[in-house]
Amino acid sequence: MSFLSRWWGQYRSILFLGVLGLGAAWTVRQTQGELLAELHRVMTLPFQGNPEKQQQLVAAKTWEQQQTIVDLKAQNQALKKLLEQPVIKKKDAIATPIIGRAADHWWQQMLVGHGANVGIVEGSVVQAPGGLVGRVTQVTANTSQVLLITDPKSRLGVTVSRSRDMGILRGQSSKFVIMDFFEKDPNVRVGDSVVTSSLSRLFPAGLAIGTVKSLKLKQTPKPQAIVELSVPIDKLEWVSVSSDGQKTAKNNAPSPSPPP
Amino acid sequence: MVRKRRKTTPLPLPLPLNLVNGLVIILSATFCTLALTLRLPGMNLDGIGPHWLLVWLVVWSIKRDLLQGVVGGIAVGLLQDSLTAPHPSHVIGLVVVGLITGRIDKKRLVAEEFVSVALIVFCMAALVEVIMALQLSWMGDWPFQDIWQRLPQTALSSAILSSLWTPVVYYPLNHWWDRLRAISQPD
Repeated sequence: MSFLSRWWGQYRSILFLGVLGLGAAWTVRQTQGELLAELHRVMTLPFQGNPEKQQQLVAAKTWEQQQTIVDLKAQNQALKKLLEQPVIKKKDAIATPIIGRAADHWWQQMLVGHGANVGIVEGSVVQAPGGLVGRVTQVTANTSQVLLITDPKSRLGVTVSRSRDMGILRGQSSKFVIMDFFEKDPNVRVGDSVVTSSLSRLFPAGLAIGTVKSLKLKQTPKPQAIVELSVPIDKLEWVSVSSDGQKTAKNNAPSPSPPP
Repeated sequence: MVRKRRKTTPLPLPLPLNLVNGLVIILSATFCTLALTLRLPGMNLDGIGPHWLLVWLVVWSIKRDLLQGVVGGIAVGLLQDSLTAPHPSHVIGLVVVGLITGRIDKKRLVAEEFVSVALIVFCMAALVEVIMALQLSWMGDWPFQDIWQRLPQTALSSAILSSLWTPVVYYPLNHWWDRLRAISQPD
């Protein structure tokens, strides 16, 4: 008995601490280390950057780049005016909802909810966030029919923005379109961006279209590039229509149907 | 176009009922035309929706004679042309559909079940796309290869969706026309 009480006197505190320690560890384990994680955060707090400050910096940088773009755009438009190329003024674009898609399974068209009443004319350029969508082919008082650039019958002159190599773009009824190059040995790489060319009569130059996805340079008679459109056309709900500078294009536009 | 069709229907119905029938025909055809431009979620396969006008045409001509089927086909084709490009015309394919559906042996379809109508719609939807592909390749504007590469997917998607959505058009219209027939032929 005296052995036991001696043992107790000697190991009491150690036993107590051991149970306490194990209990604590078990609690931590049961709470999935919640305390540990919190503690970790508090410990590393001095080493973390201030996210708000960083966001401010990013915003400032974005703002700076936006200002540069606005400035460059203005310069570019002034230069283009000197060259007398059609220019789209963003101010004149009409935002309009898409109210319908093609009424059969072959044409790639859409119907939008504004028409001649707000100044849309045949040949107006239709854009969406991301780039070019198509061209107005038919106008009623309050609706317009848009021929999409994905339509197999749609043709437009495009250029690779890095090397200025030109080609013709034709639709394939999917988000991938084919670019036929004029040259036998075009300077083009996967990932290059493609924009409308300055030779296009129907569209103003420099509208974004997409990026080169793959190349078929051995293709006869002309080398081809598969271009992925930057605009998700089948997910769009709104587009912007701009008719500025396109009034003369009406006569040159090959309409999908000869006039009756 | 739609009015003309009503005249060819030799039903000795009272005038108000006749007018209501005309209204039903015009409204249902109009709704089917407008529905063509919709792409509702769950109602399209890869951007291809049901061919509502074709469904309407099959429902129209299944219990009518050959001439009515053809006239229906022309009217419906013109309606679809008006919403898309009229070259090549959709009339040809839809007239063929009206012709075939109008010619189908009605006696074998006396105990007409929905399944057989859906089957007819399935075949006709595929047929319409084939005829369209033929027209497009005959026109020669589209690359020949592209057309025939696209055809199987287009025809199959359209056929599947159209036949699945057939009851939406078939049940109310068929019910209405059966009632009218019962009134005009009391025996």
